[in-house]
Amino acid sequence: MSLSPDVFTYVADLVQRRAGIQLDAGKEYLVEGRLQPLAKEAGHPRVDAYVRDLRVAERPADVQAVVEALTTNETSFFRDGTPFRLLTEHIVPALRGPNGSLPRLRVWSAACSTGQEPYSIAMTLADCVGPDTSVEIVASDLNTAVLERAAAGEYSRIETNRGLPSSMLVRYFDAEGTGWRVREQLRRQVTFLKHNLLEPPAFGGQFDVVFLRNVLIYFDLPVKRQVLEHVLAAMRPGGFLVLGAAETTIGLDDGWERVPLERGAVYRAVPRVPAWGLPTATSPVPVVLPAARGPLTGAVPRTAPPGVLPHARPAHVPAGVPAPVIRPITPAPVRGETR
Amino acid sequence: MSAEVEVDQVLVIARDIFSSMIDGEAGFLESWVGEPPVLAEPVVAWVDLRGPWSGRAALRTETPTAHNLSRALLGMSADEEVSDADLADAVGELANVVGGNVKALLPEGGKLGLPEVAAELPLTADAVLMHGVALAWRGRPLVVEIWALPTLDQP
Amino acid sequence: MRALVVDDSRTMRRIVAGILERQGFEVLQAEHGEEALAVLEEDDRFDLLCIDWNMPVMDGLELVAAVRKNRQWRNITMMMVTTEAEQSQIVRALAAGAHEYLIKPFTPEELRAKLELLGLVSVKELA
Repeated sequence: MSLSPDVFTYVADLVQRRAGIQLDAGKEYLVEGRLQPLAKEAGHPRVDAYVRDLRVAERPADVQAVVEALTTNETSFFRDGTPFRLLTEHIVPALRGPNGSLPRLRVWSAACSTGQEPYSIAMTLADCVGPDTSVEIVASDLNTAVLERAAAGEYSRIETNRGLPSSMLVRYFDAEGTGWRVREQLRRQVTFLKHNLLEPPAFGGQFDVVFLRNVLIYFDLPVKRQVLEHVLAAMRPGGFLVLGAAETTIGLDDGWERVPLERGAVYRAVPRVPAWGLPTATSPVPVVLPAARGPLTGAVPRTAPPGVLPHARPAHVPAGVPAPVIRPITPAPVRGETR
Repeated sequence: MSAEVEVDQVLVIARDIFSSMIDGEAGFLESWVGEPPVLAEPVVAWVDLRGPWSGRAALRTETPTAHNLSRALLGMSADEEVSDADLADAVGELANVVGGNVKALLPEGGKLGLPEVAAELPLTADAVLMHGVALAWRGRPLVVEIWALPTLDQP
Repeated sequence: MRALVVDDSRTMRRIVAGILERQGFEVLQAEHGEEALAVLEEDDRFDLLCIDWNMPVMDGLELVAAVRKNRQWRNITMMMVTTEAEQSQIVRALAAGAHEYLIKPFTPEELRAKLELLGLVSVKELA
């Protein structure tokens, strides 16, 4: 009872066009499993007949339902752990101003599925920034059904038991019936919006941090490039991009620079440099390392000429835009001058 | 009590226990359809709850079903013999998990006793059955009961 | 890795021990808090205690407090594995010194996820 080849080809093509997701041969079981409930609902005992019917009518709502059914990701709270620790230990400290201030923090959780990632980000930030920082988290997904679930913030015991420390559960959730619900104070920080990564985001830019994890792996090369371009355009210069552990921007887009942090796939948006060369700032750019609470080691100068700092504020940043005072996470590698 | 704990919630709890710890997947515990089941060779396990509201959560089934439940919980094969002690412990633990999760739905909580197992449920004259949820596990009858026991000794 | 499973139900001890053994733990068992303390007095080289709440003789909360009081045992990770499901009970157990809290019923995968959180097994890559 497997899928006929023409049906699979049609569905694969549809998902490729609508969501940029590649379904290779051999994924027939996935298509069949995910579409079975839709077929049943439409009164078809078999997926084949359902898809053929869909193909003739191509009703937008049905097509959307098929795309959504095939693009739902698996997710859990604090998935993979490391990115959230890096957010606390490296990314947030690096985003703070010279006096430690951080007036606002704008984070985008892309392809957020049922919301575990943006809420994990919200919990992490609640623990590492004070009330002086206004935190705004935008969470987006292609699938409206998962977005509704995400916005409700209700999770079953099995979902909360996957990856959520008990200490977080009791601080940020309330028991509700036989499950748990994210407290309002945390839900208020997250805005859920429908968005297709193949299009530029309509919710503005200037993100300090973007989580785009285990998404690129589904795309082919041109789509990967396109998605990264949209993300880059939505970021502040020097903002951080967090990818899945197995993902990279290397060889795809030179607008990013890898931040060498253990096994985390963290990248930084390289500020665009004007074509006529590097900014020639006259005053040295202060460098404050995130770990600068303690004594600095002799190897790292307190100040450095801008040429040494790939992330120094470029001269073309318009006045009035809060200065992205950017400090390298580790002594900055020298690169980018000739781009 | 009946205002706080709904039949549906008892059903959700029972299904959750069976899919997590016994079957490994959902779909084997269903509502009983038809006349209330009559249990042959009954065995009943229960835990008492003492607090602002005092009562009991009980799980009734037939002895062969209790054997199968014990095998499933203990990871034993179908032809393995289940000792009386294993059976009492396994079914008692099931009642304990039901009781704990039912207690969590009460606004004022209380203290859970240790599980007990017998052929019949010993009840005082003032016991009131709040919920009796008849279920079928792999086709065999199983009943989850929530009793109010107003005169149960205070802790 | 060594674990001590403390539960008055032999069924539950067997379930928890089975999951831990499949993760490579060497597992010992105790039927209540006092027995667990006796085991620890004898040999305290444990990475993890899995502790039920409602037990005869000495309950799990008392055991957590007793282990927490002994400075020699401060590196032992304690996880409650119990049917006590209220939020207030989780708060009590964590305040007493438990590191994690797993509510019964649970699947083997949920227990494993808790072990990952506690850093006792390596994080499984989901790719």
